[in-house]
Amino acid sequence: MTMIDEASLRTMLTEAGDGVALPEGAVDRIMSEASEDRPTTNVIRSMVPRGLVGRAALVAAAVVVVVGGVTIIVGVPGSSPGHRTVAGPAPVAPGSPGAPGRVSATTLPVGSKAPDQSANSNGSNASIGSTGSGGSATFAPAGTLQNGANTIAGPPTGTGTPAVAPLPTGIVGQSTKVVTTATIDLAMGTDPIQPAVTRLTTIATGAGGFVAKSDLQVGQQNVAVPSSGILVLQIPQAAFASVLSQVQAIAKVTAMTSTSTDVTGQYIDLQARIGALQASRLQYLTILSKATSIGDILSVQSQLDTIQSQIEQLQGQLNLLSGQTTYATLTVSLSQSGHRAPPSPAPQSGIGRAWHQSVSGFTTGFEWLVRIAGRTLFVLLCLAVVGISSRWAWRAWRRQML
Amino acid sequence: MGGTAVHEDIEAWLTEGYATSFRTACLILGNRADAEEAVQEAFLRAWRFRTSLAPGSDVRPWIYRVVVNTCNSKLRSEIPHRDRRTGDGDLEGLPGVYDGMTNVEQSGDIGRALQSLPVHLRVVIVLRYYADLTEREIATAIGRRPGTVKSRLHEARRLLSIHPAVRSLDDEAESDNSEVAE
Repeated sequence: MTMIDEASLRTMLTEAGDGVALPEGAVDRIMSEASEDRPTTNVIRSMVPRGLVGRAALVAAAVVVVVGGVTIIVGVPGSSPGHRTVAGPAPVAPGSPGAPGRVSATTLPVGSKAPDQSANSNGSNASIGSTGSGGSATFAPAGTLQNGANTIAGPPTGTGTPAVAPLPTGIVGQSTKVVTTATIDLAMGTDPIQPAVTRLTTIATGAGGFVAKSDLQVGQQNVAVPSSGILVLQIPQAAFASVLSQVQAIAKVTAMTSTSTDVTGQYIDLQARIGALQASRLQYLTILSKATSIGDILSVQSQLDTIQSQIEQLQGQLNLLSGQTTYATLTVSLSQSGHRAPPSPAPQSGIGRAWHQSVSGFTTGFEWLVRIAGRTLFVLLCLAVVGISSRWAWRAWRRQML
Repeated sequence: MGGTAVHEDIEAWLTEGYATSFRTACLILGNRADAEEAVQEAFLRAWRFRTSLAPGSDVRPWIYRVVVNTCNSKLRSEIPHRDRRTGDGDLEGLPGVYDGMTNVEQSGDIGRALQSLPVHLRVVIVLRYYADLTEREIATAIGRRPGTVKSRLHEARRLLSIHPAVRSLDDEAESDNSEVAE
């Protein structure tokens, strides 16, 4: 394709442009308007450093700010290995009032061992709340009752049917009803688990509780089949904290979770509904005593049966709730490691050892690359977004200024 | 360069370069009234923000940048919404626009060819071959890299080469040259 000659194009454009007549008085009009106009100092522009060094410093400062922010965001405590976050409110000391209307859950860091909860055998900086008790095990369910007059009754009678404490009428003075459940995992190491089971049973019965469920699997001696077991203990609410401390002292605690749920509102609601139904039942009984015809008697009797059924149903729910609030449920998992230590590998030759070290080093390096790839990508993405938006804003601003 | 020096530069540009700026805007916009308004607005805007010019910078491409941006703003926001049925002030239709020209038809042809180009190509071709700016100055004026300017110039020349009006003009010029040579 033949391109148009530059000289010809220049000639054409010059002739076309120079042929345009200039407007008359345009220069004077502009000068007069300009003389009335005051210069506008661009505050933003004056704040921006000029020159290559100044702009480089500005960009460097922006990069530092972005990288610092990203580092703070990415490197927040809790994301590093060996650190577990304690969820929910801080554990409360025994006897302190709970927080009504809330569900609290507490998780113990892996590797800690009672009674010194602040000890960290794995080197992690795990800590358990701020009870101020010097690191001793002071875990207790939130909402532990402190009013002796209103506490749930003590040891069970017979097979464990809970005795419901009398409740004052009305909301004012109503004792807090809390359902507490906790799970704790104990690592027995090579020790047998049977003494621990006996010890747990003794602790539960000594505190007025009982063993609700026991599931044990005993391993075989001299083979690498460990023993394990799960015990579900029902502990009176008042003694739950002390029992938990004693259980933690049995063996190394690998995990622990405690949850407390305030069911006072549900309890009061059930009581109110039962009271209303009983009042209706009394009225129906009065009507029944005054009924004369067979039809009326049968009709009133039918209503009475319905009300009685509802009362029994609600009473059952109330009894269940009372049982749950009277006793806290503590599930203890016992696990035993193998009796025999794994056979030590045969000593390797120098070349074999070097080869294994090389493979291990390669794997470690690759893991490190994969580990930092996510953060690096995130930082690069942030920088790209900031750079693109800054460039766009800068160009838009300059375009607007001119 | 202080504010007074810039003031003097702009005054000098206005006195000496108003004609070139106005005709450049005229070729870009294709309308005399729009060009007059754009150049006036551009100068006042440059005057208002004269302190934003970095010390030591060349005033000429900066002024052209203001003019080009004003023309772009008009092409983008005002002119597309205007009723163009009357065609008042258009280069092709206004009598007397090409007063003093020896070849009115020729200027009309190049005007049509220019208006057929996209705006970004029209701007670089006018700045290069009418305002006589270098590629670097054009890059400063339009806020792009010199390589972008070069590629746009090439594309604009290619499009002009295939435009029928410019081809006929080019053929006439070649025949005239050959006759003169003979």
